[in-house]
Order: sequence, then structure tokens, then C-alpha cells
Amino acid sequence: MSKAVAEVHQVTRKFGKTTAVNNVSFTIEKGSTVAILGPNGAGKTTIVSMMLGLIEPTEGYIHLFNKNPKHISVREKIGAMLQDVSVVDKLKVHEVIALFRSYYPSPLSMAELIALTGLEKKDLNKWADKLSGGQKRRVGFALALTGNPDLVFFDEPTVGLDITARRLFWEKVNALKAKGKTIIFTTHYLQEADDVAERIILFNRGEIIADGHPNAIKQQLAIRNVSFQSDDTEKAIQQLQSLPVVSRCYQKDERIYAVTEDTDAVLAALFKLDLNARNIAIEQGRLEEVFEYLTKQNEEALKNEQHYNAM
Amino acid sequence: MNSITMQCKVEVLRIFRNPYFVFWSLLMPIVFYFIFTNIVNTNVPDVELWQAHYLMSMTAFSVMGSAIMTFGIRMVQERTQGWSSFMKITPLPTWAYFTAKMFGQTVMHLFSVILIFVAGYLINGVSLTFTQWFFSGLWILVASLPFLAIGTLVGAMGKVETASGVSNILYLALAILGGMWFPIYIFPTFLQNLAEWLPSYHFGSGAWEIIRGNSPSLKSVLVLGGYLIGFMAISALVRRKQESM
Repeated sequence: MSKAVAEVHQVTRKFGKTTAVNNVSFTIEKGSTVAILGPNGAGKTTIVSMMLGLIEPTEGYIHLFNKNPKHISVREKIGAMLQDVSVVDKLKVHEVIALFRSYYPSPLSMAELIALTGLEKKDLNKWADKLSGGQKRRVGFALALTGNPDLVFFDEPTVGLDITARRLFWEKVNALKAKGKTIIFTTHYLQEADDVAERIILFNRGEIIADGHPNAIKQQLAIRNVSFQSDDTEKAIQQLQSLPVVSRCYQKDERIYAVTEDTDAVLAALFKLDLNARNIAIEQGRLEEVFEYLTKQNEEALKNEQHYNAM
Repeated sequence: MNSITMQCKVEVLRIFRNPYFVFWSLLMPIVFYFIFTNIVNTNVPDVELWQAHYLMSMTAFSVMGSAIMTFGIRMVQERTQGWSSFMKITPLPTWAYFTAKMFGQTVMHLFSVILIFVAGYLINGVSLTFTQWFFSGLWILVASLPFLAIGTLVGAMGKVETASGVSNILYLALAILGGMWFPIYIFPTFLQNLAEWLPSYHFGSGAWEIIRGNSPSLKSVLVLGGYLIGFMAISALVRRKQESM
């Protein structure tokens, strides 16, 4: 028996001809907090839905607690907050929670749930389907924790929340971490993954492109760039792009960025080409940048696909 | 076991808190009953028989409506709002979820039957023997199964709007063509022939026979049974197709 709480083994999921998740493998250790990070359409929700047993992998398998995720004994140990779930109508918040408490062998008490989730007492007597976005999210949070789960999933938990609500949510998640719960969440906010998780699994176009501690990922993906200002932006970009050492070149906020592994060579070229470069800077590429680049690439790919489909 | 009891309780609670149920399944049939047995002069030879007959029509009309509409539309709602998937990750087994829904539905049907029967007694003093009351009520509860199967088909539809549109039309068409609003002998012959093959006609017919002191005809039982099996088979096929997507 391994200590892994979750094991994803060579999982692929296709929807028709599109491959949402492509040959993905990872295991998750007990007590860890893992962020599944990626731009929209990267396959985050698909992998979480498969881990929860809501959809079947086309190939490969997923085990939670060494069993099929659909197993009742697994469901007793997991909780989840999914995207776009409205609570059933015609029930009050406290009734929904009471209902959920009846599903689990050792549920948390109402008082514990209130303390853990920041659910407000005055919300308990409201109709569950008539709550505001933030209140609904708190109810969803409480429902995810009702069974006192060992493993908790949050799928894009902070989308649409304001900054205060977001901060509060992560505070509560940190409290859960301290209790030794295993937490898996998806997000497309890099900052959240960096702040909360001790491991980031970076997804792009259905594949894992990096997996590790946020710092390790930053190093692994560290790319450096030379940036400067120039009067003739177009010429500068064109000429730099033709250099073999430059992997890509782009303009952002009046500055031209040349991404490279060899900043010295780029500097040398910069002077030799006589591009009138001013305010030159050498930067260690940040994870944000890599992420932004991926997101942009993905959006373009999506746009192209839509264009293609429309034809 | 606690969870199933709780689930049943909650389902019943939700149905009774639904104003559409109270309006369509209770108020409408009772108002119709009042109008067609008191206000409109139907010139029937046997007034007492007509009053009992039409009471059965309206009770069957009510139960058929909640079986097709409430059940089906509810299923679509719960699916489109993500609630059905959310339930799948709880330890409550799917069969328990479904059983609770059926239980809620049955309680609701029973309640409708009792209330409309009482209304018939209060409005027109309809008097039947205990056996007739009991067996006509029981018939209406049991023979509503094919309509619940139609409800599961409605429940497989993609959007709440489509589901409610389709089920409304289906419901009213079945009610009118099956002779629940007006007896089929006033229909042209071809419509009478059509009614002989509709589940709604046989649903009503069973109860109409019981209050006349007869048993439901074998044909009624066979037609309703056939529809039940047919709709369940289609429903299972649709479900399998949707799940494989």
C-alpha cells in the first residue's frame, strides 16, 4: 500500500476528436496541497472530474485511496467544490447541510462547519438557491467539508470572488492544511498556486508541462531575457528574431523583449546590429511570464480552432 | 439507512413547496371538476354517475400531470444546474437518490388523490362504496407508472424550456384525446379509435370501470403495461447513449 492518496496513471481523455487530457500521470501524497494550474481549456476540470469519478478516462486509470473513485468508501473520504453547481431549490441552507450530514458516517457538526467555512448563521435560514454568489460559494465550501473528508477538491474556487472573499477563502484553506487534509485545487491564477500550494502541476493543452515545488518550477522554467527600448521597434524585432540564440521576441509596454538562454550573445548582437537600443535590462524570466505566454498561445490556438470550425 | 429516510423527507418537502404543483396538480383539476359538474349543463342522463366519472377523470388528470411534468422537469433542472453530478460524489448511492424521488412522487400522487376525492365529496357529495374509493385510488396510483416512465424521458432532455414545453403539450394532448376532459363518445369515430390506443384513455378507463362496479379491462392493463415497458426501454437507451458521450 502506497502513501499516495491519489494515483493518476497514464490517463487520456478524448471528447470526440479533441483530446482534453493526454497521457497524464502523477501521484499525490497524503497531506499535501497541490495546485493544478493552467490557462482556460488546459484540461484542469477534465482531470478533476475524472479523479472524482464523474467521467471515465478513455485510457489509463485513476485510484483514490487505492480504489476506484466511484467506490462508496472513497466517496466517504472525499469532498468537493465544483464549478457552476447551484444548490437544489426549495430547501433552506440548514436543511441542505442536514441532508448532507446524513450521507456520511462521521460528519462535522454545524458549529464546526460554520467555524471552518465562514458560513454565517443568518444565511442558514435562507433559501439555498436564492443566495448571492459569495454566499453560495460558502455553502458549497461547507458541503464539501460536511463529511470531514481526508481529501478535498476545489475546482476554480475563487473565480468571481472579490479580493476580500478570496483572501478569506485561502485563509480557511490554510486552516484545513494545518489539520492535515490533502487538498487539490485548480486555478488559472498563478499567484494563488504560488501562495497556497507546495506543489504545482502545470497543465497546458491537456499535458503536464511542469510538476514540482513552485520554486523548482520557476527554476525549471527560468528563461532569461534582454529588454530595451528602440525607435524602430519593428526592425529591432525582425532582426533579433532572426538570431538563432533568440527563442522569441515580443513587444510589451513600449519595451522589446528578447527571450534567450544566452544573454551575452544577445547583448553583443544588439550593439553590432546598431539598433539604437536604450535602457537595456537583463531579467531573470519569471513564472508569470511563462504562464502568460502559455495563456496567450492557448487563446490563439482556441481562436484558430473556432475560426476553423466556423468555416 | 438514515440518509435514505432523510432524502425521502427532503424530496417530499421540496414538492410541497413548489407552487406549480399546488396550482397544476391540485387547484386546476378541482376547479375543472367544479365547472363541468356544476356550472356547465352537460345534459347527462345519470347525474350522479357523471359526477363520480368526472371525479375519476380529474384525479387521473392531476396524477398524470405530476408524473410527466414535475418529475421530468425536476430531473432536467437538477442535471443542468450541476446538482446531479454533485450528488454522484457523495456516498449516497444513485439508486437511493432515485428511490427517494419515486417515493416523493408517490406521496405527492397519494396526496392529490385524497384531496381531489375529498373535494368531489364536498362539492357534489359523490358517494361510492369503500371498496370503490379504495380501488379507484389504488388504480390511479399504480397505473401512473407509464407516465412516470414518460417523465424520465422528459428528464433526459437538454434544457428546462424544451422539457417544460414538450411535456406541457404532451400532457394536454394526452388528457384531451384520452377523454379526461370530455368523454370520448362525443368525439368523431377516428378520434375514438385513436383514444383506444392511448395510455391516458386506459388510465382513466380503469377508474371509470371501478366506479361502475366493474374491474379494469384486460386491454387497459395490457396497453398500459406495454407503454410502461416501451418507455422504460427507450429511456434506458437514451440514458446509455448520453452516458457514452
